[in-house]
Amino acid sequence: MNGLLLTTQQALQLLLYGDAELWSIVLLSFSVSLKAILLTTPVALLLAFGLHHGNFPGSRFILAFFNSLLSVPTVVVGLFLYVLLTRQGPFGDLKLLFTQSAMVIGQMFLCFPVLVALGYAAIQSADRRVWETARTLGAPRWFAILTIFYEVRFGLLAAVLTGFGRVISEVGISMMVGGNIMGYTRNITTAIALETSKGEFAQGIALGLVLLSLAFLLTAFLSYIQSKKRVTT
Amino acid sequence: MSEPLFVFHGIEKTFAEVKILRKVDLSLFPGKCILLTGKNGSGKTTLLKIIAGLEKPEKAEIELSGKSRCWKKFMPIIRKEIIYLHQQAFLFSGSVESNVAYGLRFTTLTREQRRESLKKALEWSGLTELAKQQANTLSGGVQQRVAFTRAWILKPKVLLLDEPVSNMDQESREQACLLMQQMKSSGMSIVITSHVPQYFDGLADVQYDLANGQLLQ
Repeated sequence: MNGLLLTTQQALQLLLYGDAELWSIVLLSFSVSLKAILLTTPVALLLAFGLHHGNFPGSRFILAFFNSLLSVPTVVVGLFLYVLLTRQGPFGDLKLLFTQSAMVIGQMFLCFPVLVALGYAAIQSADRRVWETARTLGAPRWFAILTIFYEVRFGLLAAVLTGFGRVISEVGISMMVGGNIMGYTRNITTAIALETSKGEFAQGIALGLVLLSLAFLLTAFLSYIQSKKRVTT
Repeated sequence: MSEPLFVFHGIEKTFAEVKILRKVDLSLFPGKCILLTGKNGSGKTTLLKIIAGLEKPEKAEIELSGKSRCWKKFMPIIRKEIIYLHQQAFLFSGSVESNVAYGLRFTTLTREQRRESLKKALEWSGLTELAKQQANTLSGGVQQRVAFTRAWILKPKVLLLDEPVSNMDQESREQACLLMQQMKSSGMSIVITSHVPQYFDGLADVQYDLANGQLLQ
């Protein structure tokens, strides 16, 4: 017990005294995950809108497919991407394996189904009259879509935050296609795994505290926007 | 009688293998009001949505400036001149003035002209004092007034009102009818659907009953 307290104390010291190595890992994690979520969100939400509004054959099947991908293990995505990006793989010439770009691509694969499925649920909750009213008042299609997105913004924000939570906390993809290279592809989760295997618990716990704080912040923010949604509806 | 704005010929629509509109013809004249009555599910709302370009018919022709073409050809042109209002007014989240000004951004008006139009429209409907209020906190009657104003500000040639005074108290109903009368006087063509024709006695110029997919005068 004393050992755990002592290690936690050391972890807090690392965080509070701005340990450069530790904070560079945190920054890299946020940088990779933010890129992944920002690149994925517009495409995923447009697809979610298309699935709901397009009413084309197979749209239900596509939605069911994305729903089934919600719980896909991150190592499976990592493995799939590894096979594609390895030197002998179809995209080996791009030399992306063990780069931040590979991590971003992997995380995009991971959050895409989350954004499509939860985005679809949010868009589905929009009143049909939003689209009709926007269109009859002269809005072009793209603006009518933005109007729907604005009307269900709390649901969409919840989808984005859930997607971000999924990618920032994943370890399988980052480990497999990032390679856990110090200062280049080492992020919070791969660093925790490495430090723990070395017996360096202080840094692992410090990084764990960052992830935990983020989880609390995301949950608190989600609760806040849910309560705001209740007030405005 | 003046020239019709738009003439719709042979509108046909089927839902679940039931033909709800059978070769319906309808002419819309400036400054005239048509009252559409009919049972629930008779196709009144569908007809209005087809005219507004919000619903696709199986068949329809539109006559414009003496030429008659398939609806697909003319609809993109005429839909800019037609505004449809839902039975229960739908207002976007935001203030009354942001709702009223919504459609202005798609016009060619300058920012200054838009501001002036907004001011006039709010004065026209007596909503100036409520301009900053959240639209979805207002009563049903006032929400309908906001929806009228949001349409009026765009000066459409045709206004389609789906059960505009249902669920309104007498005072709100009278206010709404007054606004409709003013819109009609300004030259707008108005089509109203209602279960209670008496509410529009002084307003409607012609009344049609939609039954078995056909319009009967």
